[in-house]
Amino acid sequence: MLTFLALASVLLLGIVPERSQAIVIYTGWERHGLVGSDIRLSCSFFSWRWTSEDVTFSWTYRPDGSRDSISIFHYTGGVPYVDNKGPFRDRLEFVGNPGRRDGSILIKNLDFSDNGTFTCDAKNPPDIVGRPSSVRVLVFETVPIQAGVITGAIIGVVLGLLVLIVVIYYLMRFLVARRVFSLSVSKHGKKKKEGPQQRQLWTPPPLTCYPLP
Amino acid sequence: MENGPNPVIRTVTMLILLAVIFAVHIIGIVLLLVATIDNAWWMTQNVSTDVWFRWVQQGGVWNHTDLPSGTSYPQEYLQAVQACSVLACIFSILGVFVFVAQLFTLEKGQRFTISGVFQFIACLCIMVAASIYTDRFHLNENGWYGHSFILAWISFGLTFISSIIYFVLRKKTA
Repeated sequence: MLTFLALASVLLLGIVPERSQAIVIYTGWERHGLVGSDIRLSCSFFSWRWTSEDVTFSWTYRPDGSRDSISIFHYTGGVPYVDNKGPFRDRLEFVGNPGRRDGSILIKNLDFSDNGTFTCDAKNPPDIVGRPSSVRVLVFETVPIQAGVITGAIIGVVLGLLVLIVVIYYLMRFLVARRVFSLSVSKHGKKKKEGPQQRQLWTPPPLTCYPLP
Repeated sequence: MENGPNPVIRTVTMLILLAVIFAVHIIGIVLLLVATIDNAWWMTQNVSTDVWFRWVQQGGVWNHTDLPSGTSYPQEYLQAVQACSVLACIFSILGVFVFVAQLFTLEKGQRFTISGVFQFIACLCIMVAASIYTDRFHLNENGWYGHSFILAWISFGLTFISSIIYFVLRKKTA
């Protein structure tokens, strides 16, 4: 009975992924970069199958405001092919590790004309059904302070200090109370030890009669 | 035989005093909240703005827009004003709860120092917020300060008075 169940589960696990699972591609949502700097666009995927040798990655670029996208990178058969004619020639570098399902690219020397959407599409044969994922690149002259960062930081620090002060105050009270308690116990013990010794040394005073006032 | 004023009158005066102090504190909180939330720190004919966003009137319709960015509107100071005004509200509200707690837990003859400290911190925070706003924004513009801005300064005064009261007040009954 047990062997039958084991065989059935192995069989099911073998059959089900073939038919229903798709490949899931992950890139960032938005990336910010400074003019003149380098930016790394990461792309990885999840697939139920082992990474095959025919795994492919391809990146396409669509400038802001344009409806056409051009292909800028393709990895297939173990060889990366970078853009050598388009806007990214000599600026694109493949920094991914296809064996680890990483198809990231590096764009050097960013310019304002690089604002746009980069789409990564990965295929892991026979797992080829999937939706490409896009990352939006924004190029700035100076990195802007994101809305609310300083506000949140100030409020968080002040409230955190308040909580810390309250906690320390109650902790000190608790510790001091414990110390006082332990001190009184040790005093009590010392008294008890000296007690019987004193009795041996102490002789009762002789009975005397005092004249009445 | 009476020893001193009528005890009923004494309790009544103490209750009235307590109610007045509580009312001052609550009014301070309300003013702080209105100053922080209501959009009227700086106004012109067609613009009504505060530290969070801006209303612009175009063709009879009020449109909601973001605050301008750039050198005339420094982002860091704006966020500092936001943080300080929110903190002032928070400390004042916490102060109310602390005051009520101290009413029940303080021993006779002691002062309401912690409530006073909370109100004082709220007073400092709203002072910092209003001062930064007065000093750094709308320096060369035509317009006038709106009611939220004025209420911010009034609540500074109220919270200051309230904190002094708490520092001076002693608990009369156990």
